[in-house]
Amino acid sequence: MKTALDRSRFGFYFVTPFFIIFLIFGLAPILYSLYLSFTSWDGFTDPVFVGFANYKRLLGDTLFFKSILNTMIIWIFSIVPQLILALVLAIILNEKFLRGKNFFRAVYYFPNIVTPVTLGVLFSLMFDWQTGSVNHLLVSLGIIDQPIYWLNSPWLSRIIVATVIMWQYFGFNMLVFIAGLQSIPQELYEAAEVDGANRLQVIFKIMLPLLRPVLLFTMITSIIGGLQLFDAPLMIGDGPENSTMTMVMYLYETAFKNFNYGYSAAIAYAIFIIILIFSIVSLKSQARKKD
Amino acid sequence: MKKFFSLSLIMILILSMLAGCSTVESAGKANDDNTLVIWTFFGDVKLMAKKFEEKYPNDHVIVKVFPGDQYKTKLQTALQAGGDDAPDIFDLERSYMGKFINSDFPVNLTKIGGEELVKGYVPYVQELGRDKDGDLMAVADTSSPGGFWCKKANAKKWLGTDDPEKISKMVESWDKIIKLGEKINKKSHGKVHLISHFGDVYNVEAYHLQPFVKDKTLQIDDGWKKAYKIQKEIFQNDVGAHLEFMSAGWNNALNEGNVILTAMPAWASFMIDNEDGKAENKYAVAKTPKGLYFGGTYRAINRASDKKKLAYKFLKFVTSKEWQQFNLEKTGNAPALKSVYKDNFDSYTSPLTGHLKILKQYYDLVEDVPAQKAGKYSEDLLGTWRIVAGQGIKDDKDFNDVVTQFKKKVRILYPEIKVK
Repeated sequence: MKTALDRSRFGFYFVTPFFIIFLIFGLAPILYSLYLSFTSWDGFTDPVFVGFANYKRLLGDTLFFKSILNTMIIWIFSIVPQLILALVLAIILNEKFLRGKNFFRAVYYFPNIVTPVTLGVLFSLMFDWQTGSVNHLLVSLGIIDQPIYWLNSPWLSRIIVATVIMWQYFGFNMLVFIAGLQSIPQELYEAAEVDGANRLQVIFKIMLPLLRPVLLFTMITSIIGGLQLFDAPLMIGDGPENSTMTMVMYLYETAFKNFNYGYSAAIAYAIFIIILIFSIVSLKSQARKKD
Repeated sequence: MKKFFSLSLIMILILSMLAGCSTVESAGKANDDNTLVIWTFFGDVKLMAKKFEEKYPNDHVIVKVFPGDQYKTKLQTALQAGGDDAPDIFDLERSYMGKFINSDFPVNLTKIGGEELVKGYVPYVQELGRDKDGDLMAVADTSSPGGFWCKKANAKKWLGTDDPEKISKMVESWDKIIKLGEKINKKSHGKVHLISHFGDVYNVEAYHLQPFVKDKTLQIDDGWKKAYKIQKEIFQNDVGAHLEFMSAGWNNALNEGNVILTAMPAWASFMIDNEDGKAENKYAVAKTPKGLYFGGTYRAINRASDKKKLAYKFLKFVTSKEWQQFNLEKTGNAPALKSVYKDNFDSYTSPLTGHLKILKQYYDLVEDVPAQKAGKYSEDLLGTWRIVAGQGIKDDKDFNDVVTQFKKKVRILYPEIKVK
């Protein structure tokens, strides 16, 4: 007779391929990067062990700190309007009386299936100083006399990058919010109606409080995604005074443009620690709110 | 039956896992001694290989093209890893070749008699392929001259002539360019500009000045101060159209003509829209104030290759007069051999420039470019300077502020370089 433990062997067999692949393609590069972060290596010669020199250099690297600041600014500029827009649209598209709402849900989700690289190129062409459609439109409407040099201003450049991110993800967050709204029991709305609550009261007293777990989920996922911003800003460029250079862009440029793999591995670990801190803070605040 | 299905499932899973570990043969590389593998980012190498095979029917060339920015990383990984996956010959682009030719990856061509390959070459072309000790590590089969491209009708309207020699005379110095540019700007009420961008000054001057790094120490040639002043004047007086090189606006201006003179390499003529031959005989090329070149493709032999003899035979072919003459006629790529230039001075024409004999102008320009080594840092630091100085011009900063900013950036990005 087979024991429970014997039978469970098959479970291990099924999960083994994942762990083998993870060890080879996940854990091994992670550990190798850790080793590289203690070396000086340009990829042309053998790595030379330099101890904590790369991390010491990182602490004095103003460009790295600027890239952290840029990432934060772009993230805040994208996440705030993104969540507000997604929430407003979710509430509107959750209304029963609205016809064709499935069509709009699909349309708003479309930007999410376009690759960030394409969006980056698209926006850089739209905001081109001389040939961009945005300037053409503003001039033809008489709003401005001279074309605006969007990508020559650090703040405008950051806002454009943030807009790309916002435009890409608001549809996705909208769907998550709609799913959250649909999980709110219908009885609560009916009770509110009986009690004479108006629409705003329903939104602020029922919808938003019950949507809090979903909001926290989107916050955490957007923190991790936001701190890893790379492809869309890369297509738009470093910006004036490196104003749109994000942390991951700096990592990429250090490794693959400057061939400084040791230092870029140290940057990778620094980014990992930053993301870890933010994720812990989010999780803690979530736990506190649950209590 | 159940057993059969589970076995099949396991086999499929194992085979799909191992699919990535295909052998070299299955990836298309034959292992016989007469087959050469070339890695490149440039599709035209296929033509080169075809012509080589025609000349030497017993030899075979496999060309693997990796377009895009990731080529250099792939190449570096393959060369590091070694083994059968690495190419016998690899192509290098001007912007990063300095790092590769100063590494242990390429064969030292000087030591195997390779100096014969670049005998009679345009000086700057052969010097770029040398490492820091002056040994030849890579060779090109073309030079990359640039000049002021203009629409003939446009030049006639605004400059009064479409004769390249007369135009060259009118723009033989930056002072003349600024004066002429101001005049055109005024006459056209700011709608037409003489040149595309103040960056043209950078493109021309960059290779005429001393490299930024000497003996691992940062040095800033005095010429940069003069160049910066000229760039500022061009920017502030609207001599340039503020169209960055190769940007969408720059391309529009080249085709539509709201910029009279576009500094552009010969190889970039594909940027001109010539659908149904509509741009044929419509353009002329004038000289820039100093010799100008853009980019370059170099070829090196992998030190780990076991087919060095065959690889050398290939390099000998592409550096020969035979190939460079054919390449000029077929693709319009300018040669690296001076003799090919000279032989075609009076005969070579291109569809875009019609009856004009453009090779003499290109020859004068490439001959005027100083011979400098590629250097490990040269392109990176030039790029950094271009960005910092470009921003300084837009923000109307003093040259000393730009230098301070540049030094600060070099200290951060390249701590191994001494900055005084």
